[in-house]
Amino acid sequence: MTTLTKASETSAARENPARRRRRVDRLPYLLLLPCLVVICVLLLWPLGQVVAMSFFRLNNVRQLRGDREWPWVGFGNYAEILGDPFFLTVLRNTVLFAVANVALTMILGTLVGLLLNRLGKRMATFVASCVMLAWATPALTGTIVWKWMFDDTSGLVTWMFNALPDGLSNALFGRADWTGYGWFNSPLLFFSILTLVVVWHSFPFIAVSVLAGLKSVPSELHEAARVDGASSWKVFWRITFPLLRPVFGILVVLSTIWDFKVFTQQFVLAGGTQDRPTFMLSIYSYAEAFSPPPKYGLGAAVAVILTLILLLVTGLYVRMVLKQEEES
Amino acid sequence: MNRWKRLAPVTAVVASAAMVLAGCGGSGDDEAADNSKLTVWMMGEGSEAQTKFLDGVETEFKKKHPDTDVVVQYIPWLEAPKKFQAALAGGEGPDVTELGNTETQGWAAQEALADVTGKLGGWSEGKDILPDLVKNAQLDGKQYGVPWYAGVRALYYRTDWFAEAGVKPPTSWDELVAAAKAVQAKKPGTYGIALPGNSELPFYSFLWGAGGEIATKQGDSWKSGYNTPEAQKAVKFWTDMVTVHKVAPPAAAGWNEIDARTQFATGKAAMAFGGSWQAGAIKKDNPEIEKVWGTFPIPGPDGKPAPAFAGGSDIALWKDSKKQDLAWDYLTVLLSKQKDKEFASSLGFFPVYSDLVSGGEYANDKFMAAFATTMQNTKLTPLTPKWVEASRTKTVTQAMNSSVIKGQKTVEKATAEAAAEMESILNAK
Repeated sequence: MTTLTKASETSAARENPARRRRRVDRLPYLLLLPCLVVICVLLLWPLGQVVAMSFFRLNNVRQLRGDREWPWVGFGNYAEILGDPFFLTVLRNTVLFAVANVALTMILGTLVGLLLNRLGKRMATFVASCVMLAWATPALTGTIVWKWMFDDTSGLVTWMFNALPDGLSNALFGRADWTGYGWFNSPLLFFSILTLVVVWHSFPFIAVSVLAGLKSVPSELHEAARVDGASSWKVFWRITFPLLRPVFGILVVLSTIWDFKVFTQQFVLAGGTQDRPTFMLSIYSYAEAFSPPPKYGLGAAVAVILTLILLLVTGLYVRMVLKQEEES
Repeated sequence: MNRWKRLAPVTAVVASAAMVLAGCGGSGDDEAADNSKLTVWMMGEGSEAQTKFLDGVETEFKKKHPDTDVVVQYIPWLEAPKKFQAALAGGEGPDVTELGNTETQGWAAQEALADVTGKLGGWSEGKDILPDLVKNAQLDGKQYGVPWYAGVRALYYRTDWFAEAGVKPPTSWDELVAAAKAVQAKKPGTYGIALPGNSELPFYSFLWGAGGEIATKQGDSWKSGYNTPEAQKAVKFWTDMVTVHKVAPPAAAGWNEIDARTQFATGKAAMAFGGSWQAGAIKKDNPEIEKVWGTFPIPGPDGKPAPAFAGGSDIALWKDSKKQDLAWDYLTVLLSKQKDKEFASSLGFFPVYSDLVSGGEYANDKFMAAFATTMQNTKLTPLTPKWVEASRTKTVTQAMNSSVIKGQKTVEKATAEAAAEMESILNAK
């Protein structure tokens, strides 16, 4: 190791004149500056504020205006949250939900990506446009439509279940009349519907990314494998997957981040912040901070915990990107 | 070098968690006391009748202040807490605001509202306001709001369906279930009663009817009444309507009062809880229904009408407003006996003046009689600024009832847990 570093140091010293000449290359950084300023103002400053707020007892709006003292509580807010058994429920919900959604999104997205790669040009365009529509629908609008579909009296899903032959419905579910059925009553059912909505929203991105990856794989490899008599299953796991491994890695990490911070879909489906048994971290933070009476300090602490979890995932992502670039 | 480009969305994602909390801050500039405009916030969607009434109030107010324009803004009830918080954080609020009488204490504790103890004491007409309602707008002995109108809930029912099923408006719990079952049997595909399983106020009538209490103050601390046999009896009856008698569907566990009333308005339920003021909203959904509806007081278990929560609104002055005196002048016009009565009769509320409520005209009104009867027997939710957290944020009562309806907890477990949670909220330092 030491010899290696020394070697690189000497080589760096030898390259010194060349480096000086490269100073002109500061231009790109200069061009990045406005972007960095925007990021600092819009992202880093509020982030810092949230971290600061999490160390104070903030229960009055007037404190935010600076009209009142900010009593310092150190890690008091964190202790209160971590000591509350409810936090475990929230964390469990968040993690299980993220794991399930990442898995389902990846599987469905990959399958659709493979399908798109196989389809003829016209059909591929058609399917891709349909899929992209789901992605282009704003989370709020899409979720409201889903909620209507699960309406207990006039929803499409309720109607479809009612349309099942009574005998079949009875045999499968033990009930024939679905009017008035509480679709959002049990946490498990609620999370299933939420998963449906979130996966529906996020699989198109995976599908399109996988498709882009597939297009970069030389088709000769696949052809050769087929000539050798490999099944589709084998072709995928022996050729496609290893070649697309970097793409999959990044997609998994991105999906994890997205699914950890699901808010809109949950807020709309649950009809606000009333359904506490189905809380996940982001809605928990929001409810603590903004439901009367406000507890901004506690809410900020939850947000920081969520941010730390996400930073961990982000760290993995950055490492993966760097490693990949080293390899290539 | 794509590295940073790829990192950008990640950074954005991470920081967006923080952004939620970042919207606050920034202070409003002090504006000079400019009397050309008085901003009034009213709750709800603003019906035509209400707009017309408020125009009349403005005309009256302008007699004294000809140079002041009154700007009325309507705020949906559910938006109000967010709107108040934003106004308080930003420093740009109304001068006068309406607010639900269960929320006055909470906002007073947040220092949103001006102390009007002195002003109310010096206003002669205000001395006739019902004392219970006045007390409900106080915090630590100071007055932060003035009652505007009050109302109670009763049960709306379909007179035609009841006649078909041969049942009369029930006066006890047993009769209530029997009537619901009879109508449901006669009208397949409908519900006997649209039970708002996710609402608390109609439930309190059953709690109080059974002799239970939400919470009472004993010395320095609050004691919840939920783990008493009386409260358990009420929870059992309320939830049995779904789980045992099946006169309301399982989905009712998630219904709020509006959801439930919509079932009634659209001809899917034979009975629904509602205030007298909600008649307009129901008619809006179904204009025909007026011909076939009636009302009766929420029954107690034993044949007497149950007590009901005296819901309603207060009018408060915004603490940050620079026009306190002007705002108070508007308040006294809006709340004058004459205007209060006008408003009440146009929108189906009761005025807050004791001499007006006890007048015989309501008791003789076919539609209003049920409400007038109940107005004689009202109760309040616990008088503490912490109540809003138990009621609106943690929704202790709603969660208790829903969990039983959903079959997640037994009545005993749900009531015991709700009692413990309520006590921990109300007694928090």
